[in-house]
Amino acid sequence: MNRRNREAMFFNLFRVCALIVVLALVVILGYVLINGIGKWSIDFFTQDPRPNVHGALVEGGILGPLVGTIYLMLLVMVIAIPVGVLGSVFLQEYFGGTRIGRIWWMVVNNLAGVPSIVWGLLGVALLVYYLNFGLSLIAAAVTLSLLVLPLIMVATKEAVEAVPSSLREASIALGATKWQTVRHHILPYSTSGILTGIILSISRAGGETAPILLTGVAVNASIPGALGDQFQALPYYIYLMTQTTDRTQAYAMAYGASLVLIALIVGLNLVAIIMRNRYREKYRW
Amino acid sequence: MPIIEIKDLNVHFGENHALKNVTMSLDKNQITAIIGPSGCGKSTYIRCINRMNDLIPGCKVEGEIVVDGSNIYAKDVDPVDIRKKIGMVFQKPNPFPKSIFENVAYAPKIHGLVQKDGKSKKATKNELEETVEWSLRRAALWEEVKDRLGKSAYTLSGGQQQRLCIARALAIKPEIILFDEPCSALDPIATAKIEDLLIDLKKDYTVVIVTHNMQQAARVSDKTAYFYIGELIEYGITEQIFEKPTKELTEKYITGRMG
Repeated sequence: MNRRNREAMFFNLFRVCALIVVLALVVILGYVLINGIGKWSIDFFTQDPRPNVHGALVEGGILGPLVGTIYLMLLVMVIAIPVGVLGSVFLQEYFGGTRIGRIWWMVVNNLAGVPSIVWGLLGVALLVYYLNFGLSLIAAAVTLSLLVLPLIMVATKEAVEAVPSSLREASIALGATKWQTVRHHILPYSTSGILTGIILSISRAGGETAPILLTGVAVNASIPGALGDQFQALPYYIYLMTQTTDRTQAYAMAYGASLVLIALIVGLNLVAIIMRNRYREKYRW
Repeated sequence: MPIIEIKDLNVHFGENHALKNVTMSLDKNQITAIIGPSGCGKSTYIRCINRMNDLIPGCKVEGEIVVDGSNIYAKDVDPVDIRKKIGMVFQKPNPFPKSIFENVAYAPKIHGLVQKDGKSKKATKNELEETVEWSLRRAALWEEVKDRLGKSAYTLSGGQQQRLCIARALAIKPEIILFDEPCSALDPIATAKIEDLLIDLKKDYTVVIVTHNMQQAARVSDKTAYFYIGELIEYGITEQIFEKPTKELTEKYITGRMG
């Protein structure tokens, strides 16, 4: 086989791989869309799940799970963003290049790979029982925050590293303190990269089932009025639907809810893309 | 009259002994050029004068650098205060990705403006504008940018960016300005402009310049120091260094037989 044919062969191989990826995405999204969109109605969004005659929660809507998931995402944002971003900047700017810094990052990188059920176990053992949070919204939010912290930290680290050190030096040489340099330069210049990490993390938190299952989600809990209340959530609701015997009705509800979850995440990503482009436009070097 | 006195300066980066027993004094309102082959410690040396080496993990500086009568490496000295008084311009132009105005106004904004009694206070908008204009004029850039101060600094050419960085350093009202190979990324025309500016700045400032370009050192400097593998080999009046160097190493370097 000559070089040209070989190239053509590999190109076609890549083409097929790319096609598989795109097709998989289109099929999954399309399938969820076709099966789920029919369930979308005012009632679907404004009513709580209700049991049918057999006691399965396949009637009504998904108000409770939707609100629960939004609460979770908001709480995770409030907890994980400041801790993750500032922690990462601290490690990078104050411990960067030192031995302690390297060991620390090794730990963070490994934490990013810990399975979510393990975080759930930690959450239930440490937060729910040992620290007496009880099965609650806050216990689940903290558990999810711990789960996504490494993601936010790694994304922040990469964004911060992408800021040229010449800009750091420029600021320091003008007599700025380290904190002023971080606050006025490093953070603004790396915002677009940090945002990407944040959105990914929040999406991940919104879609996790295992950790919340152990730390506070409950069937037909009412919309939480306090951090100590139990709650419903979309991924758990979807899981419940697949466990129901009344498949036709339950699966339809599951697809409807899945579509909502996907829409939520796509929406978040759109916001992130818009914000990212604005920042990229503002700070370009 | 010396403004900077360096005594027994030794710098280590971990195992690497980067500067060895450097002792020299630099004169006020003069341009001192630092020359030498790559890796001779030129940049390390100039970065000691405003304590930029503090940023590098594993860097250890011993000895004294006395600026205006006080040792900047004394225990109770905050390096941030040192850098407020000594400006620095780097190899590659490194303006902030902000507007031209914001670049020059940055230091006065965070430090406030120094008043007659020596204390600083927060700058008003008017004072900031004055300082920015003054600095840009002093850096010979005002005429070129006065109509587009709000534009990004990255819309400027390389030479303009470097003059912007000079203006930014001037805005802290330093006594001393350090230039670390300021023309190495510029074309000859932009380089000539910077050199003219350097000579003009000497009236009001003490200038230290590291350069790879020996002609540049000969053109602009009053005194020249030649470094080789971390040691100060020869230091004296520029003409003498270039015409009658006393050390063989210096002669080899300036005649191009080494480096």
